[in-house]
Amino acid sequence: MENILELQQVSKTFPKSNFTLENVTFSLPYGAILGFVGENGAGKTTTIGCILNTIAKDSGTITLFGQEMLDEDTSLRERIGVVYDGDNFPTYWTAKQLSKIMKGFYTQWDSSLFQKYLEDFHLPTNQEIKHYSRGMTMKLAIATALAHHPELLILDEATSGLDPIVRDEMLNVFLEFVQEENHSILLSSHITSDLEKIADYITFIHNGKLIMTASKNDLVYNYAVMRCKESQFLALDPKDILAYRKRDFQIDVLVSNGKEAQKKYKNVVVDHTSVDEIMLLLVKGERI
Amino acid sequence: MKGLLRNNFYATLSNTKIFAAIMLLLECVVVAIGNKIPSLVMGYMLLTMIGFSLNSIASLRKEGATKWNKYKLTTPVTRSAIVQSYFLSLLLWLTVGMIFAGIGVALSIMLHGFLFDRSTDVFMLFVVGAGISLFMGAIFFPLFYIGGEERNEVFLGISLLGGTGLVMGLSALINTLFPAPMTTTQIILGGIIILVCALLVFVASCPVTTYLYRKKEY
Repeated sequence: MENILELQQVSKTFPKSNFTLENVTFSLPYGAILGFVGENGAGKTTTIGCILNTIAKDSGTITLFGQEMLDEDTSLRERIGVVYDGDNFPTYWTAKQLSKIMKGFYTQWDSSLFQKYLEDFHLPTNQEIKHYSRGMTMKLAIATALAHHPELLILDEATSGLDPIVRDEMLNVFLEFVQEENHSILLSSHITSDLEKIADYITFIHNGKLIMTASKNDLVYNYAVMRCKESQFLALDPKDILAYRKRDFQIDVLVSNGKEAQKKYKNVVVDHTSVDEIMLLLVKGERI
Repeated sequence: MKGLLRNNFYATLSNTKIFAAIMLLLECVVVAIGNKIPSLVMGYMLLTMIGFSLNSIASLRKEGATKWNKYKLTTPVTRSAIVQSYFLSLLLWLTVGMIFAGIGVALSIMLHGFLFDRSTDVFMLFVVGAGISLFMGAIFFPLFYIGGEERNEVFLGISLLGGTGLVMGLSALINTLFPAPMTTTQIILGGIIILVCALLVFVASCPVTTYLYRKKEY
């Protein structure tokens, strides 16, 4: 068993909104962080909903720790920590009450570890959550997700809306979490800079369809963008083009191997690229 | 279940504190007035039992304001346990209401003597209070999962009226079964029939609610 999470051909249609998640397939190895990237409404939260059973998938298979998770499989959920964007908990609770409730939910709930996180994150124990700032509520959610010793963290836009300092602090917590080789994180985000910092693999989703999964190192070190004139673009081998986007005076072409492209097309400018630009080209660009 | 019950308790707590304070105040008034106005004691008894139950089910809406409803499903609890915890919480709060009602009526009787026409009246008041509360819960929970929390107030109204209507309907039916004047045994039997019916509907509503909840997506 190499993967902590595996999705095979997962589909889900919402007839009212006409949105379809189409044959989503990816896997998350043990000890890795997978960044799940896509624009708002691309299907990230729906995919996570299917993984966590808050949404019923129409078809496909999802395995967590090697088995499909049904509503009855509470022991599997003991091993998962979840953080959603925004208010995860009723705002009339205090952190102290939250701990008491979670102790009744999780057999492995570690009150002293939770208390340690509260102290590390400077979160007041007896203040109602409604008086917390956004950064504080997210820190509380992360502390809660970690305090029952999970093996898999599923974070749905957990860093959005946080200032860069808090985000950095949280990313360090995630990196610390995956130091254990059996720990993994699925981190959905549209803040690609976060993923560039911590992800091992990045999966792109657009309009409910998976566009690409690649290792971050591959994306950062091998993927490149060729800045072509029209005539240069027409001379390119279509097999080399992953996606392209016409701009005012040039055509940006995404290629999977910048060095080879530079050798093959000597007169074309080949730039290193960012996850942000790759996402833009994949989402806004065209494909042959 | 312990965590779920605690969760439901915290959701109900702030409203219940206020309600309990008002009920305590009203209890003092009722006990002070004595047996001059028996309908006041009757009203107090019904209000405490139905009021505490109503508070319990009304608190479901508070959870909907955040992602807690979704989050809860990612924790090691089943949907069936979540629904059972709501039903159990209602029963617990109904018991609290019955204790309040019992203390109120007991104090009134101790200080001012028996204020009802028949000894069975006190029993019947408990039957009506508990019956309405149980029917109310049995109607409310499935409606809540069919219609969603944004229609909470309407469903509360419907279930309260429905619960009252069912108890009145059953009483009318029992009155036709046992024509007046009813004996004490017949009154007690009638009360037990209402209570058993309410309990059966309440228990039957739990799997129905679970079935509906299983279809809900968050």
